[in-house]
Amino acid sequence: MISITPEEGRWLLRNLARGLVEYLGVVEPPVPVEELLEHPPSLYDMDLGVVNMYSHLWDATFARTPSQRGSIFVRIDLPSDERRYALAREILTALITSVHGRALGLPDLLLPSLRAWAEFFARHLLVPDALVDAFRQRGGDENGLAEAFLIPPRVAAQRWDEPALSMN
Amino acid sequence: MSMQSLNQLVARSIIDPGVVQAFGAGHIGDILSDLDFSSELRGRLSELKAETWAEYAVMAYRVIRAAAQPAVRIQLPSPAEGLLPSQVRADRRHVA
Repeated sequence: MISITPEEGRWLLRNLARGLVEYLGVVEPPVPVEELLEHPPSLYDMDLGVVNMYSHLWDATFARTPSQRGSIFVRIDLPSDERRYALAREILTALITSVHGRALGLPDLLLPSLRAWAEFFARHLLVPDALVDAFRQRGGDENGLAEAFLIPPRVAAQRWDEPALSMN
Repeated sequence: MSMQSLNQLVARSIIDPGVVQAFGAGHIGDILSDLDFSSELRGRLSELKAETWAEYAVMAYRVIRAAAQPAVRIQLPSPAEGLLPSQVRADRRHVA
């Protein structure tokens, strides 16, 4: 097993997020993350359910039943921007632990720092490079990013500072 | 363009089982031949050995990044610089 640098991990995750965004056919914000969960690629039929719950312990968490069916258990009372971010974050765990994710070899590379990777992945699933580039070109600013992409302001601030994916 | 092709391939791999199947069967060269890599780079990528597709992708990323880096050049001062009076050298640096 190889070890990866933070930069390599970010590159990998940006492209995985991009694959899902392309699957959704998104051309403008906000990215419909709930639609991805309701109608996932067939590879993930067993991995991307949603269960709304009353909880004061966490915003969302991914878990599998003994039958291996996976669901994201999400607090029912979250504001929509926090809900979208929490769901996007937990999607990475679903992908990594899915049959396809394991076939790709994602657990070896990403499980050791899953929490940090999941937050990065969520930012790029909800705010893909192509859409944020277009947003910047139209004169959008950091304050408008949260509103346009329906993400929490603290997440928008982090995403605003992240450079575009290298194409060289 | 090479990195863009690799980005597209990795993005595709998360929703297309054909990529990992080709990799597992040792046929990743068939996939690469459909993408915009130079023949030299395609050859190097085809020869990479990895235990998993994700590892292969990272190794391919390293190869393409390294290929895209300009060769490091050692910057030495001009040998003529030591022959000039110090004031002239300072003026030239200031102009530059």
